[in-house]
Amino acid sequence: MVVDSGTMEPAEEQQQEQEEEEEEEEEEMLGLDSEENSEMSDDELQEAFASGLLKPGMNVLVDQPKKHVNNVEGMKQCLADFRKDLPWVERLVLTNPPAEDVLSQAEGKVPKPANGDVNADDDFQREMFFYRQAQATVLEALPLLSKHGIATKRPEDYFAEMAKSDQHMQKIRKKLISKQMILEKSEKAKKLREQRKFGKKVQVEVIQKRQKEKKAMMTAVKRYQKGMTDKLEFLEGDKKQPGKDSAQGSKKAAAKKGPNAKRKFKDQKFGFGGKKSGKKWNTKESFNDVSSFRAKVANAKGGKKGKGGKQNKRPGKSVRKKMKGRS
Amino acid sequence: MSAFKRKRGGQGAVGKKAKKAKVVADRDGAPSETEQGTKNEVTVPAPVSSGKWTNKERVLIFSSRGINFRTRHLMQDLRTMMPHSKADTKMDRKDKLFVVNEVCEIKNCNKCLFFEAKKKQDLYMWIANSPHGPSAKFLVQNIHTLAELKMTGNCLKGSRPLLSFDPKFDKEPQFALLKELFIQTFSTPHYHPKSQPFVDHVYTFTIADNRIWFRNYQIIEEDASLVEIGPRFVLNLIKVFQGSFGGPTLYENPDFKSPNMHRREIRIAAAARVREKQMVKEMQKMKRTEAKQDLSKDITADVFLTPAPEKPVHIETEAPEPRFSNKNKRKAMKRQRQRR
Repeated sequence: MVVDSGTMEPAEEQQQEQEEEEEEEEEEMLGLDSEENSEMSDDELQEAFASGLLKPGMNVLVDQPKKHVNNVEGMKQCLADFRKDLPWVERLVLTNPPAEDVLSQAEGKVPKPANGDVNADDDFQREMFFYRQAQATVLEALPLLSKHGIATKRPEDYFAEMAKSDQHMQKIRKKLISKQMILEKSEKAKKLREQRKFGKKVQVEVIQKRQKEKKAMMTAVKRYQKGMTDKLEFLEGDKKQPGKDSAQGSKKAAAKKGPNAKRKFKDQKFGFGGKKSGKKWNTKESFNDVSSFRAKVANAKGGKKGKGGKQNKRPGKSVRKKMKGRS
Repeated sequence: MSAFKRKRGGQGAVGKKAKKAKVVADRDGAPSETEQGTKNEVTVPAPVSSGKWTNKERVLIFSSRGINFRTRHLMQDLRTMMPHSKADTKMDRKDKLFVVNEVCEIKNCNKCLFFEAKKKQDLYMWIANSPHGPSAKFLVQNIHTLAELKMTGNCLKGSRPLLSFDPKFDKEPQFALLKELFIQTFSTPHYHPKSQPFVDHVYTFTIADNRIWFRNYQIIEEDASLVEIGPRFVLNLIKVFQGSFGGPTLYENPDFKSPNMHRREIRIAAAARVREKQMVKEMQKMKRTEAKQDLSKDITADVFLTPAPEKPVHIETEAPEPRFSNKNKRKAMKRQRQRR
């Protein structure tokens, strides 16, 4: 917009300039709405501004919020005209909230929302809500129906056309059965897998036991062969029940003592990063520590006769030769 | 025989009562079986006996062109469930809606369920009271038909239903009006010639999430154990009109969003996301090609400069004294001893 200042009167010039500026501003700032604004001519805009309809600053055309029809009176009137007053038997209508949910109350599950509004997104809850509403209706309606003489139970021999054909019902039945079969099969497969795992464990244990027994037998036999023992009791090893028990008892006791001495020593030497090198040895604690003092060993003046005869001492070469020759 | 069949009630009904014929379901396709189905060994009152059928409600169920298979099945299911319904051919889309009123009059129906499909995607349902009464338009969603294998219940064809409504229907005037409309449309009249005398299923109408949910259950036991029969659908109210398929609007649902708008919003959101990503990428590019600041000199480098204090300059004029190291002490002693 070009303002020809020459033709303007100096008094109005400033005001006009201001107006033009405002309009230019408006047109720039409005952007999208400038098309609508261009419907109103500049003169009209000037007049509107002069009369105070347009205020300085940004003016945006806004739609009125859409009004939704809610003709309450009309609806009530319509309903009054439209409704039919028929006996209950004709219409069989009941309005009721859903019945008490016995199951979920028994389990102490989710409490119902206080306003009785069901969450439409929770599929299971929603369907249960509808189900319970139907249940409440049925419970209320059955005595009413029997009062009016309308039957609800179909007699056994009453054959009539059903809403779904027999063929269809058979299809449904087949599908249900197949679903059940699939479930059963998967259950069986799971059980089998568990059994197999367990069976494998048991098998491994049995094999290990057998190997142990074999080893024990072989060592006993070897010892006899080499002449270390002259008893043949290892042959009847299986029949020794009480002995076995005592052996087991001693085994358990041994197991109770924990790891054996070798293990303990190794733990001490190498466990937790091992002994720290250069660690002080003759400290107060180590001096006062008398745990490795064996009174028997320290006070024993004699030799190794403490055992009392030779139990497992290996005989000399000549004796062994003799024994070998004998057998 | 045909004369008998034409009569409704009167002599025909009395004569039929004496027969004891039993009809096995679905072997014969003739629809007249339903009439004879009422006779059996247990004496059950005939559905029609000397003009007892007074509540003359007839519903016209039909659709426009362009519906898909699910809608067609739903329509058929509704016709199956409601013995007081009549079918008609598809209506052409170019006819105006008030033509439906004329079709209803021709068929002598006073209620109408009209299904309209738009864009082969959206299904709208009109429910109207034909000559003068109110009508309503809904958007139908979540349709499941009778034929779905998960609906395991079954009921007599044409048996009268129980209707169950949510108490919320009484709270608002539009819902109260709709409730009356549903009752008059869906409930089968007493002593209707095609109806069965037993009541073995129940329709439920519930309001949740500002929509009307419809379910159909079969009553198995007297202790109210139910199984769903189907069909099931969800109605989203759009408008309620005072007249049938027209007239002044009584109520407009403010929460209703047309499916077109919904799809458009999704598309716009997706487009906006893509545009944002592009913009971010462009900004990154610009930043990379911008003239970078010269960081060779660190301006904060001399913040922690603390020069050491000046020490007086000490000039050594004499050489320092040699110090004896302890290393050679022992050797020194040894040498000393050897020397001695």
